[in-house]
Amino acid sequence: MISTQALAIMVVAAPLLAAGLVIVAPSRHLTALARASAVATSALVVVLVARAVKDAAHPLVGNWIVVDAAGALLLAVTAVVGLASVLMSASYLQGAHSSFVADGHRDRVYYVVVFVFWAMLLAVPLAGNLGAAWLVVEATTATSALLVGFSGKAHALEAGWKYLILTSLGLGIALLGIAILAAGVPTGEVSGLAWGRLATFGSGRATALSAYLLIVVGLAAKIGWAPVHNWLPDAHSQAPPPVSALLSAALLPTVLLVAWRTERALAPLIGLPAAQRVLIGFGLVSLAVAVPFLWRPMAFKRLLAYSSLEHLGVMALGIGFGTPLALAGVALHIVGHAIAKALGFCAAIPLLAHEPRAARHAVSGIGRTAPALGATMGLSLGALSGLPPSPLFVSELLILAGGFESGRPWPAAIAAVLLALGFLGVAHATIDTLVGKAHRRNMTPLPGLRLVTRLGGVSMIVFVGLTAVAPWLSGSSFVAALVRGLP
Amino acid sequence: MTVAMGSLLIGLGLGVVVVRRRSVAIALVTTQALVLAAIALRQAGTASDTVAGLALVMRAAALGALFFVAVARSRERQPLRARVTPMVRAGLAIVLILIFTALVPAFGLSSRHAEPVELALVAAGLTCAATRRSTLFQVLGIVLVENGLALAGIEAPHASSVIIELGVTLDLTLVVGVAALFHLRIFSEFGAGDSAALRSLRD
Repeated sequence: MISTQALAIMVVAAPLLAAGLVIVAPSRHLTALARASAVATSALVVVLVARAVKDAAHPLVGNWIVVDAAGALLLAVTAVVGLASVLMSASYLQGAHSSFVADGHRDRVYYVVVFVFWAMLLAVPLAGNLGAAWLVVEATTATSALLVGFSGKAHALEAGWKYLILTSLGLGIALLGIAILAAGVPTGEVSGLAWGRLATFGSGRATALSAYLLIVVGLAAKIGWAPVHNWLPDAHSQAPPPVSALLSAALLPTVLLVAWRTERALAPLIGLPAAQRVLIGFGLVSLAVAVPFLWRPMAFKRLLAYSSLEHLGVMALGIGFGTPLALAGVALHIVGHAIAKALGFCAAIPLLAHEPRAARHAVSGIGRTAPALGATMGLSLGALSGLPPSPLFVSELLILAGGFESGRPWPAAIAAVLLALGFLGVAHATIDTLVGKAHRRNMTPLPGLRLVTRLGGVSMIVFVGLTAVAPWLSGSSFVAALVRGLP
Repeated sequence: MTVAMGSLLIGLGLGVVVVRRRSVAIALVTTQALVLAAIALRQAGTASDTVAGLALVMRAAALGALFFVAVARSRERQPLRARVTPMVRAGLAIVLILIFTALVPAFGLSSRHAEPVELALVAAGLTCAATRRSTLFQVLGIVLVENGLALAGIEAPHASSVIIELGVTLDLTLVVGVAALFHLRIFSEFGAGDSAALRSLRD
C-alpha cells in the first residue's frame, strides 16, 4: 500500500504532471486531457482525505508534510472546487473573446496556469512548516494573478494589478513575521519552522506577539479580511468564472488554514485568548464592512465577492471562538461556502452569455427568462444568504453558539445582528434574481448550462446531507481532531 | 554587518523612495541587492550559505536586467509626477521606519545593526508602493521589501534551510516577473504605466 506521505506528494504532483501534459498535447485533445487529469487528481485527493479522516486521531506530522483533519478538510474542498472549475473551463473558453496571450496558445496557457495554481493550492494544507506554507501561498499569487488578468481587458488588468501588489506586500509583511520567528527558534534548518516547534521560540512573549500580528495581518491581505480586502471584489469579478470559483471557494479558506495553524502553534507563547482576539477582530470588521455592500444592487460576481468577505469573516469568528461547537461550525461553513460559491461562479458562465450586462450591473428576473439558470443561481444565493435549512444557516448557528459557549457574548451578539442584516441583503438579491423584472435576453443555447444545472443538482444533495449531519458534528472524532490541532 | 553598510542600504532604499527617474531607481535597487549578496557571500560559513549568497547575486542580476528591459519597452515621454512630493515621501518613509523600529521588539538577528536596517527597508518599500503612481515604482517597492527580508535571512543566528531560502528567492523573483509582465500590458493598454488609470473598478 502506498504510504500517506507518498500519496500526499502524488496529490501535488498530479496537477503539475497534468500541466506538463497539456503543454505537449495536441490542441484537439486539450479539453479531454484537462478533464481526465482533473478527475485523476480529485480521485487521489479522495483517497488521501479518506485516510486522513480515518486516522484523524493520529495525523502524519513531518517537517515538510502534514496530513491532519484540518488539512483534509481543505484538501477535499480544493479538490471539489478544482474539479468543477476545470470541467467548466471549456464553456468559459468557448465564449471568451480576448486574452492575455495570443489566440493560438490561449487554451493551452490557460489550462497550464490553472493546473499549476491548483497544485499550489493543494500543497498549502499539506505544508509541514510555516516557511513551506508561505512559499506555496506566495506561489499561488504569481499564478492566480495571471489568471485574474487572463482576459487582457483593461478592467482585468486593473484587478490583476491590485491583487498582485496588495497580496505581495501583505505576504512580505507575513514573511517579516516568519523571519522574526525563525531568528528566535533554537533549532536551525527547516525543523525550526515546523508547526510543532514554533512554540520553542525563545525571544519572549512581546516578540512572539509582534511576529504573530505581522503574520496574521500579512495573511489577512491574501485571505481578503477587511480592512485589507480591496483587491477581492475586483479580482473575483474580473477573473474568468472558473478561476473566481477557485479564488473564492478554495484559495481564501486555504490561506485561512495557515493563519489558523499559526494561531494554534503560537498560542502557548502569546496566550490563546490574545491569539483568538485578533481573529475575532478581523471577523467582526469583515462582517461589518461586507454587510452594507450586500444590500446594494450589484453585478452578480461582485455580489459573490462581497459574500466571500462576509463568510471569511464568519470563519475567522469560529476559529477565534475555538470551542468544539464553533469549530464544527467552521468545518461545515468551509464546505458549504465552497460548494455554494463554486456553483454561483460556474453559473456566471451561462449568465454572462444570457445577459452580458450582468458583467457590470445587477440583473433581475433570470428565473423568468432562463428557469434552469435562475434556479441554480437561486440555490447558490439562497445557501450563501444562510436561508434555512441551508448548511450555512446551521454552521452560523453553531459558530454563534460557540461564541456564547466560549464566554464571548458581545462578539457573538454583534455577529448575530450583522449576519441577520447580511441575510436580508442577499435574500433580497436572491428574490430579485429569480422573479424580478425580466428584460429581453439572448435565448440561444447557453454555454455550460447543462453542466451547471447538473452541478446544481449535486450541490442540492450535498447541502441536504451537510445539514443532516450537522447536529452530530460537534461530538465527532473529526471535530475533536480539529480542536486538538497538530501535536 | 557594520553601521556603514547598514547606512548604505538604508540610503539606497530612501533614494528609491525619492528619485524621479525609473532608470535611476532601478540602478539603486539593483545596487542594494548586489550589496546584500556581497554581505551574504562574505559571511558565508557553509556551502549552503554560499549557495544562498550566489542565488542572491543571480536574483540581483535577473531583476536588474528584467527592469531595464521593462523600461526599454515602456518608454515614457516624461516621468510620471507622483501623488506626493519627494520630501513628503521621504518624510513618510522615515516616520514609518521610526514606527516600525519602535513597535517591533528586538528579535535576535546575529548583528544588532541588522534589525533596524531590515525594518527600514520594509518601511521604505511600503512607502514606495503606496505613494508612487508609476506601476514600475510600485514593483520596486515590493523589491525593497524583499531586500529587507533577504537581510533577515543573511543575518539569521542559525543556519536556516537552504531550500526555504532558495524557494523564497525564486518565489519573489517570479512574482516580480509577473508584475513586470503586467506593467508592460498596462503600458500597452493605457499608454502609460500609471496606476492612477487603474481606478475604474469601484463600488
